Amino acid sequence: MIEQLPRRWSPWVLAVGCAGMPGGGCLSVPADATEPSLATHVDDWRNEIIYQVIVDRFADGDLNNDFRVHPGDLALYQGGDWRGIEDHLGYLQALGISTMWISPIVQNVETDADIDSYHGYWQQDLTKLNAHFGDLASLRSLVSHAHRIGMKVVLDIVCNHMGQVFFYDINRNNRPDDYVNGSGNTMDPVVQISEYDPPWSPGGVQAYTQLGPSGRAPILFFDDPSIERIRPQPGILATAGAYHGFGHIENFDDVAQRTLGDFTGGLKDLATELPEVRATLVDAFATWVEKVDFDGYRIDTVKHIENDFWPVFAGATRARLANRGKSRFFMFGEALDGNDQLLGSYTGPGALDSVFYFSQHYAVFRDVFEDAHDRARARGTDAIAALWQQKTTHYGTQAQPGGIGVAPYKALVNFIDNHDVERFLFGSEGDVGALRNALTLLFTEEGIPCLYYGTEQDFAGGNDPANREPLWPTGFATDGATFQHIAALSHIRHAYPALRLGDTSVVWSTPHVAQEEDAGIFAFERAAGDAGSGAYALIVMNTNDFKTSETRGDGGVMRVQASPGTLLVDVLDPGHTPYRVSADGTLELSVPPQSALILVPANQVVGGL
Amino acid sequence: MRIIVFSCAATITTLSAAAAGDDGSPPGASSSHDDRPPPIVSAPAGPSEGHFEFGSYGRVRVGSDLRGHTGSDANIVAHGDRIDEDSYAELELRREDTFTPHVASKVVATLALFPPFFHFSGDPTQAIAVRNLYAQGTLDDLTLWVGSRMYRGDDIYLLDWWPLDNQNTLGGGAGYRLRWAPGAETVVAAHAGLQRLSSTYQYEQIPAPLPAALTPQQGPTSTNITSLDRPRTIETLKVTHLATRPGHGPDGLKLVLYAETQELAAGVYTDTTVAPPGQTALPTDWGWLAGGEVAYFTGRRNTFVQVFVRHAEGIAAYDPLSVPLTFASDRTTRGSSETLAALGANYEQGPFGLLVGAYFRSFRDGSPSPTTSQKYDEGVLAFRPQVYLGDRWGIAFEGAFEARRYALLDPQTDQPLTAVEWRAGVIPYFSPSGRGSYARPQVRLIYALTARNPAARELYPTEDAINQRGIVQFLALGAEWWFNSSSYP
Repeated sequence: MIEQLPRRWSPWVLAVGCAGMPGGGCLSVPADATEPSLATHVDDWRNEIIYQVIVDRFADGDLNNDFRVHPGDLALYQGGDWRGIEDHLGYLQALGISTMWISPIVQNVETDADIDSYHGYWQQDLTKLNAHFGDLASLRSLVSHAHRIGMKVVLDIVCNHMGQVFFYDINRNNRPDDYVNGSGNTMDPVVQISEYDPPWSPGGVQAYTQLGPSGRAPILFFDDPSIERIRPQPGILATAGAYHGFGHIENFDDVAQRTLGDFTGGLKDLATELPEVRATLVDAFATWVEKVDFDGYRIDTVKHIENDFWPVFAGATRARLANRGKSRFFMFGEALDGNDQLLGSYTGPGALDSVFYFSQHYAVFRDVFEDAHDRARARGTDAIAALWQQKTTHYGTQAQPGGIGVAPYKALVNFIDNHDVERFLFGSEGDVGALRNALTLLFTEEGIPCLYYGTEQDFAGGNDPANREPLWPTGFATDGATFQHIAALSHIRHAYPALRLGDTSVVWSTPHVAQEEDAGIFAFERAAGDAGSGAYALIVMNTNDFKTSETRGDGGVMRVQASPGTLLVDVLDPGHTPYRVSADGTLELSVPPQSALILVPANQVVGGL
Repeated sequence: MRIIVFSCAATITTLSAAAAGDDGSPPGASSSHDDRPPPIVSAPAGPSEGHFEFGSYGRVRVGSDLRGHTGSDANIVAHGDRIDEDSYAELELRREDTFTPHVASKVVATLALFPPFFHFSGDPTQAIAVRNLYAQGTLDDLTLWVGSRMYRGDDIYLLDWWPLDNQNTLGGGAGYRLRWAPGAETVVAAHAGLQRLSSTYQYEQIPAPLPAALTPQQGPTSTNITSLDRPRTIETLKVTHLATRPGHGPDGLKLVLYAETQELAAGVYTDTTVAPPGQTALPTDWGWLAGGEVAYFTGRRNTFVQVFVRHAEGIAAYDPLSVPLTFASDRTTRGSSETLAALGANYEQGPFGLLVGAYFRSFRDGSPSPTTSQKYDEGVLAFRPQVYLGDRWGIAFEGAFEARRYALLDPQTDQPLTAVEWRAGVIPYFSPSGRGSYARPQVRLIYALTARNPAARELYPTEDAINQRGIVQFLALGAEWWFNSSSYP
C-alpha cells in the first residue's frame, strides 16, 4: 500500500542535498531530545532537597512559545518554559537543590473565567504537552541535563479531575448557560445555577423542565479548539461515563462530596473507581515517565479520590516502571488539609510513598514560626513535638512494596509554603528572621525538605495568584542573605548524614511564648538510625521573635544524648563556635531571637563546613 | 517560464528595445544617419511616438479530488510541484513611448486576480492586487524606474518559483548596460524599496485621546494614531553578464551575481487587548543575502539549463511578503539562515521535450530551541517529459518527489519528522500557438496522483479528513497563457 510509505526511506534523498550545503550538514535533533533509557537515579529520597517550580513563573527561555502571555497579570500566562529552567540549572545547583518538582506538563484548557491554566492543573489531554512550556524535545533536554548534573525531576500529575471540559445541560438547550433560573416552577424560589459549575447534588446534577427535575443533566463536552476546551483525551476520558457528574463540592468535610464532587473552579471529577479510568490514568502518566525519564510523581488533590484508588494506581505504576528499569520511583500526594490522620491515610499499605506534611505547615510553620511576630497568636514549640509524636501512628511505618525503600513516616515531604497558600513572608508580615529560622528547621528535620521557588529571593506574595510571582525580575541573584542561608543549609544537610538519615529525638520543647526562660526554644537530635551508629547532630532553635531564650526552665536544663564532655560545633555559624556537653549530660545554651544552632561533634565536622 | 536572457527582465527588455530603436537601427544609432534629407524646417516638438500595450499571464483550473470535493494543492514544501496549483491571473496595461532614439519611457500597471472567482463562489467581491504600478525612463544605456513593482530574475517553471531574486517593493532602481563586444554585455542593476506589511510586526495603530484643542468641538473621543511603523528596507544589487559564443550561433552563457541587504527599524508593539496595554519592544534587525546563477542556453527551442545558489542570514532569510514566526532570545532574527541550491532546465528535440525543476533548501530560524517547525531541510525534484503530437497537441507526464525534514520529533520514530510525497501525473493538452514546452496558451486536462507518508499527514489536524489521506487524486481542466507581459516576457 502506498498509504504505508515507510518513514525511513526518504532521508537519504535529503542527505544528498544537505551534503552539498556549505557549512550545513543534515538537520538532526539533539541526542537529548530522543527517548531516554530509563534508569534509577536516586538511592535514598531523604538525601534529596526538592525545589518546587511553577514552570510558567521560573524563567522564560524561549519567547517563541509566549503566546497568550500578559506580563504582570499573575492570573494569566507569564512566559516561563522548560528551556528557561534548563538555562538556570546552575542557579538551583548554587542553592543546593537536588530535585526539581515541576508543575504539570500536559495540555490544559487554556483559559476559563479570565484565568489561565498557567499552573497546569486544568488538564484536557493527557497525551499532549502544554505548548506554552515547550515541546517533548525541550522537556527531555531539561530532564537529561538535570540527570547529568545529578539532579532529579519530579512530575506533577492530577488523577482527581480534568479541566472544565464539559457543561451540565440543565435546561437541555444544548448550549452552556451562565445561569438558569431554578426549577422552572414559579412557586419555587429563583435559584441561579451555572451550567459550567453547578453545586453538589446528591443524586447527580439534575436537568429541569417546567415540571421540575427530569433526571441527570446531559454532560456535553465543549468544542472550542481555540482554547483547547475540547473533548478530553485519552480513551474513556472522552466519554461522559468517566465523570461523576455530581456538581461542585460545597462541603469539604463531607466524604461523599469530597470524593465525588467537582473540584473548585468547575474542574470535572473523574470516576476514579472505574477500572478503565484507573488504567487510563496509570498508562497516560507512566507513558510520560517512559518518554522523559522522570523520577517521581507529585500527585495533586489526593484527598478527593477514594482511598482504595492509591494502592491500585501506585502498584500498577511501580510494576510497569520496574519492568523498564526504573525503581525507587517516588510518589507523594498532596492533600490540602491540616488533619494529620487524613494525610497519613494515603500512606497505607501499598499506597503512596509519602505525602506533603500539610499538618506541619499549619501547626508548625504557620502557628509557631509565621505567627511569631504576633504575641497574641504565637504558639509554643511543644506543638512541634506533639505533631511529630503522631508520625508513627498516622503514617505508614513500612516501606511500600516496590516503593522507595523508606517508610512513609520517615519520608514526609516537609515544606514551609507552596503555591496553594500565602507565602511565609506575607503571613509573617515580612519577618525574614522567622523565615530563615523556619528554613533551618526545614533542612534539619526528618523527612525531605521541599522549597517553594522564590523563597530564596524573599518573595512575599499573598494568596493565589499573588504567591506565584515570576522569578526572572530578580535576575537570579545568588548573593541575597536568604539565598545564602539556604545554600549553607543545603550544604550542611548534604554533608552530615545524621541530618538526612538519622532518627529524631526531641530534647526540648516548650509551651512558653512570652518572657519565660525557654520561651520559643526547640531542640531535637538527629542520630543513628539509617545514618549509622556514630552519626549525631543537635539542632537548637529559638522561635521567639522578641527575646533571647535559654535551654533551661522549670528548674531543669536541656539534657542531650551526646556523651558528657563531647565538644559540639555549630556548623551553621561561620565561626564554628564550640560548645561542650557538661559532665551531667546537659547543655545550657542561650539562643538569640529567631536563630538556631546546628551542633555536630567536633570530630565529625566536615572540612569547609 | 522561459529563461530570461537578461536579468531584471522588464528593465532590460526595455533597454534593449530603446537601444535598438523601433526602426530597427543598431543600438546607439542616430536617425541622422539615414539616407533621407534633413528637413528644411525643424519639425515642431510634438507628441511622442507611443502606444498602449496589453499583456497578461494567467492560469485557471477547476478540479476535483474524485471524492466529491474540489481538488487542492497537495504540496508539503515551500515551492512544490505546480501541477495542482490554484488559479491566478495578471492583467497588464502598459504605455510605451519613444521620445527620441535615445530616450524612451514606459508606464506599467498590472492587476492580479485571485480565486475564488464569481462564477465559482457566487460572490461578486474579488480579491485584486496591484502587482505593478511604476514608470520607467531610459536614456541610452541607463534606465531609471520608480513605483510598485515585481522585480525579479529567472524562474523555475515547474515550481513556479524565482529562486535567486524576487522582490515586490515600493521603491525605485537603476540599470546600466555595459557593452563589451557583439554578443557580450554586462548589466548592473540596483534597487531600493520598502515593504510595510499589514502585520503588527511592522505596523500598528492604536487609539489615543483627541487633542485637547479639538475636544470642545468633537467632545471627548479618541482617534487612531500610528504607534508602530517600521518598513522593511531592501537594497539589491545585481550584475548580469551575458555572452554568446562568437561565430557559434545563438548559444551562450549567462552569469549572475546578486546581493541584498535588508533592515528593520526598532519599534514597540502595543497589546491593546489587555488593560493597561502591554508593550513589547521590537529591536532593530537586519540581514543579508548573496547568490548567483549560471545558465547555459542553446538559443534554440527554449533549451537551457540553469543553476542557482543562494545564502541568506537574518531577516533576509525570510520572504519579504511574510513576517518571521520565531525569533532569537533578543527578539531579532539573528541566527536565522536560508541556504539553497536549485536547478531548472528545458530540453526540446524533435517531438520530445523535458522540463526539470529541483532544489534543496535548508532553513534555520534563530530561536533557541533546537526543535521547532522553523528549522527544516526540504527538497523537490520535478520533471515533465512530453511528446508533441503534431504542432498543436501534446501529452506531458509529470513526476515529482517532495520531502521536508523538520527539527521536530516524529512521535512514531523519535527521529526528525520527515514528510515525503511522491507524485505522478499526466497532462494531455492543446496548444494553439504551436509546439513547445513554453508555447502558450495551453488548454489541458490534468490528472495527478500524490502519495504521502504518515509523517506528511501529521502536518494536518487529525480531523482534516481530506489531508489525512495517504493518496490524493486531482483531476482538473486547466488553461494557462502568457503574452506581452512585462513580468512574463
